[in-house]
Amino acid sequence: MKYLITLLLFIFSFQFNLSQNQTIESNLEGLVLEIGDSFTPESFVRTSDGTQRDCQAIIYYNKKGVFNVGGSIVQDPSTGKIIANEPGEHEVVAVCVDSRNNGNRLSQTFLVTVKFTKTKSILLDIENETFTGNYIPYSYSTITENGLKRNDLIVNVTSSSPEIINVESNNLLKASNKGEANITFEVDGVKMTKKVKVKNNPVSSLNIRISETSIRTGDVVNIETKMYDKKGKKIEGLAPVFSFHGESFDGSNSASGLIKNNKFVADVAGLYTVNASFGNITSSTKIKVTDRDVKKNIVQLGIGSVFDKPSSDAWFFEGVDGKDYGVSGTFFDGLAYFWDISDPKNIKKIDSIKVDARIVNDVKVSKDSKICVITREGASNRKNGLIILDVSNPSDVKILSEYTDGLTGGVHNIFIDNNHVYALNAFGNPSKFEVINIEDPKNPKGVGVFELELGSAIHDIWIEDGIAYTSNWKDGLYIVDIGNGIAGGSPSNPVAIANYKYKTGANHAAFPFKSKSTGKFYVVLGDEIFPDGVDFFSSNETTGFLHFVDFSDLKNPKEVARFEVPGYGSHNFWVEDDVVYAAMYNGGVRVIDVSGELLGDLYKQGREIAAFKTGSPNGFIPNSTMTWGAQYFKGNIFYSDLNAGIGALKLLDSKPDNSKSMQFTTDKSLDLLFGAKNLIELFEYLESPPIE
Amino acid sequence: MKIKFEKLIKSEYFRFILAFGIIKKVIIILLILSPHLTFSQSYYLYVASESEDTVSLLKFDKNQIEEIERISVGTFPTEIEGPHGITVDPNGKYWYLSLAHGNPFGKLIKYSTKTNKVVDETTLGLFPASMQISTITGFLYCVNFNLHGTMAPSNVSVVDPETMTEITKITTGSMPHGSRISPDGLYQYSVAMMSGELFEIDALGLKVNRVLDLENKMMKNKKMSHKMMDMDKKMDNMKMNKDKMKSMQNMKHSMVKPTWVIPHPNLKLAYIAGNGSNEIIEVDLENWEVSDRFKTGKGPYNLEISPNGELLIGTIKSEGKTAIWGLKDKKLLSLLKNTTSISHGIAISSDSKYAFISSEGIGGEPGIVDVISLETFKLISSVEVGKQAGGIAFWKKEI
Repeated sequence: MKYLITLLLFIFSFQFNLSQNQTIESNLEGLVLEIGDSFTPESFVRTSDGTQRDCQAIIYYNKKGVFNVGGSIVQDPSTGKIIANEPGEHEVVAVCVDSRNNGNRLSQTFLVTVKFTKTKSILLDIENETFTGNYIPYSYSTITENGLKRNDLIVNVTSSSPEIINVESNNLLKASNKGEANITFEVDGVKMTKKVKVKNNPVSSLNIRISETSIRTGDVVNIETKMYDKKGKKIEGLAPVFSFHGESFDGSNSASGLIKNNKFVADVAGLYTVNASFGNITSSTKIKVTDRDVKKNIVQLGIGSVFDKPSSDAWFFEGVDGKDYGVSGTFFDGLAYFWDISDPKNIKKIDSIKVDARIVNDVKVSKDSKICVITREGASNRKNGLIILDVSNPSDVKILSEYTDGLTGGVHNIFIDNNHVYALNAFGNPSKFEVINIEDPKNPKGVGVFELELGSAIHDIWIEDGIAYTSNWKDGLYIVDIGNGIAGGSPSNPVAIANYKYKTGANHAAFPFKSKSTGKFYVVLGDEIFPDGVDFFSSNETTGFLHFVDFSDLKNPKEVARFEVPGYGSHNFWVEDDVVYAAMYNGGVRVIDVSGELLGDLYKQGREIAAFKTGSPNGFIPNSTMTWGAQYFKGNIFYSDLNAGIGALKLLDSKPDNSKSMQFTTDKSLDLLFGAKNLIELFEYLESPPIE
Repeated sequence: MKIKFEKLIKSEYFRFILAFGIIKKVIIILLILSPHLTFSQSYYLYVASESEDTVSLLKFDKNQIEEIERISVGTFPTEIEGPHGITVDPNGKYWYLSLAHGNPFGKLIKYSTKTNKVVDETTLGLFPASMQISTITGFLYCVNFNLHGTMAPSNVSVVDPETMTEITKITTGSMPHGSRISPDGLYQYSVAMMSGELFEIDALGLKVNRVLDLENKMMKNKKMSHKMMDMDKKMDNMKMNKDKMKSMQNMKHSMVKPTWVIPHPNLKLAYIAGNGSNEIIEVDLENWEVSDRFKTGKGPYNLEISPNGELLIGTIKSEGKTAIWGLKDKKLLSLLKNTTSISHGIAISSDSKYAFISSEGIGGEPGIVDVISLETFKLISSVEVGKQAGGIAFWKKEI
């Protein structure tokens, strides 16, 4: 047996030697290129005995992948040359394909460094003159010899007269005395000098005034300043710098807030000091901030349970007969449910429709309450599209027609507006929405299409006043004229008006609203993010927040505020009378006061009126709240929950009473649990542990 | 002499001869008994369920097939990401899954067969579908079906599974669906469903080698259907740039609608499922021409050839059936009804004894995998899996 083992080991070791101890050597090793350079790689195989051989075929690629083609470092297939496009360290993989490798992979990764070409010039933006006591703002970038702009180099800044303009730490320039100084910026051996004149600070006094001195958290105050010279003459055209500090009324909390563009908002109740300064002249004012105090009790009126499968979107409407109804979609077997919600305490399932689909993701009802459109994904014939229903009698819903043209990939979301259905083809390239005329709902007709750029995504759509608001993940929000007339758009000719992208890149839903209290026009944009991935059959974490973007000037949107509850992301939401009703997945339904001007972090400002977790102990995933959507309807808040079906909530006028919430327990429960008549007896009991 | 003999029997050489002799006898005895010994054999395979975002690991013990693990795949709980194509690498250590839906691009996910946990992932093109790894290059070639897009040329993504890097995209036809690698690993074959073409990609050169129009000359002259005319009319109404319009005008609407191609394991032939023309098309790969066509039931979809090269198995999707042809004479040997509707994918055991057929079902129906004996042509066992069972891949046979 010993010999047999020896023999086998010999055979295996021989095979091992054949497959191992081969490496690829290449002139790519340690290669340093400059942007724009091209290089012909030469590689060969070195075996363990030191001999070298060529490879039958060798393939090079950038480890970052095909999306970086043209962006960093690539190989020109026609010449075989490596071309350096972007600076940095790039991993180039060489794979040797050769029958002599005995079927084993032979590859090597080489680090190729690509450098910028030398700096040729500096682009500098600095004021020519300033006043004593001010810091001098400036910005710069550099241009390389081959014309590329860089913002990553740190300049060395020197002053010809430090007593006039001093270079402080972090290259900050402080104007100290009247005079002129040459400021020199040097980078990569290239210098640029700028003469800056410092004048005496003309400001002798500064008055600060705020619109209100006693406000609530979240209230935005405007700050006004007036500056005067020695003679008391008002100085125009100068902008002071603002700052604030404060002390919270709650000793364990820190005062915080935001000051931006002459506006101040506080997050926490306390006494705040707002400062305005110009040079060494400063003026301050005090603001007393009290709690916003908008909290209200919220109660669940009733539920329409769907526990055997996940639920998706829901829509609630007044039917043709004057009674109130709802429709909700589901996952897994193509069902949509119809509900009588006339009595929210007694929600009744009154009908259902089953279509050839795995997911009915979205449901919408026309304004006249006669037509309902439901989406299809996972149809057996892969045509998917949408189904048009007659809901004149929601207890006896009838299928009128289906529409699949251009929507075979599955429709994820829809909207009905003015006899047209706007249906998203979310998974195509280009991503698009199709416009379908349903004047004759039995014979729907495609009349238009709106396409995004190649590689863009589209996920949701909402329409208001002839304008479509599409949510597009990384591509942010698109605002499209589909009949408003602002850009000459129509259903058959949708015209994009504006696009707003933001950093989180997870725009899932959008809801436009005009603030009743300020007249400003906002669009709320919600993120959908699952930071830890997803498990369909257990609870999931979500993150992200609601972005409030001021679209009063469509061409110049400004993100002004956010509503972020740590640990909870957003899904769908609704705005009515300056109140947002947000479905925040595992965070439940959140009711948010968005009255007045919006600035900063709305959650920190105590603008949350109420929160309710919509999960059910009997849910598809028990006790797992996953609120999908919320809709304010006839004084109540209706919602759908992925794990629990639909339900109705009521916001009460009463405020939550937390005065008893910190009591340890009742005497009755103490007796029951510990055999102690009161807390003193319990403590005595705890001090004398039982003897074993 | 006696001393010499004692020396001999004590020598290493004698012991070696003795050991070798004993082993030889044992081997001979085992060989004689082998037909009478019953070895417990199990076959393992993976199947993807497109409408449930799950992959099932199945075990078949020659009598019964069972689901031994159901693996959740995808990222979003509120959206179905559509696991479509699935393949196991030649050494059996990893399985790869294409997720069709993305924002907008799909993904390739690499899983360990040991743990069925994700190892790595990379982004591919639009609606990545079928794929396979070349034994010669070690690269994975995956077609980007682009089911939901306009009828423009799509591509094949080439991925290095070691680094999970998509190293290039090779442009092919409109809606490339079925794809397989040649037995020698040197070529990847794919069929473009809407442009009706067979593409041969040089697996080493990473470029298209040859393209074959699969349309039957007789069919080409047929008038366009009303449906197609409607489609063209609708296209006229669409807002498109000139380049895209031009590209679409150049794309034809195939009558053949090829959905699958499988090269023969030993011969220079490939077989193609003409899903639209209800036929199997045989292509002579040497002369690069159609060498035969034979009719099938309605909607042939996927095809596989038994590793011994004797049988061609095809799913007849629209009829919910599986067809088995003998490749010697291209005669239909059997046509079996699958357990549920919408027959989809095929995996064949490495010993050419069994075919595993995935069927999608409709709506809330579960997907089902049927096992068909390739010796008796009988359905042996079935198992329910997730909804819309599609991509299926044989992993291993274990004794």
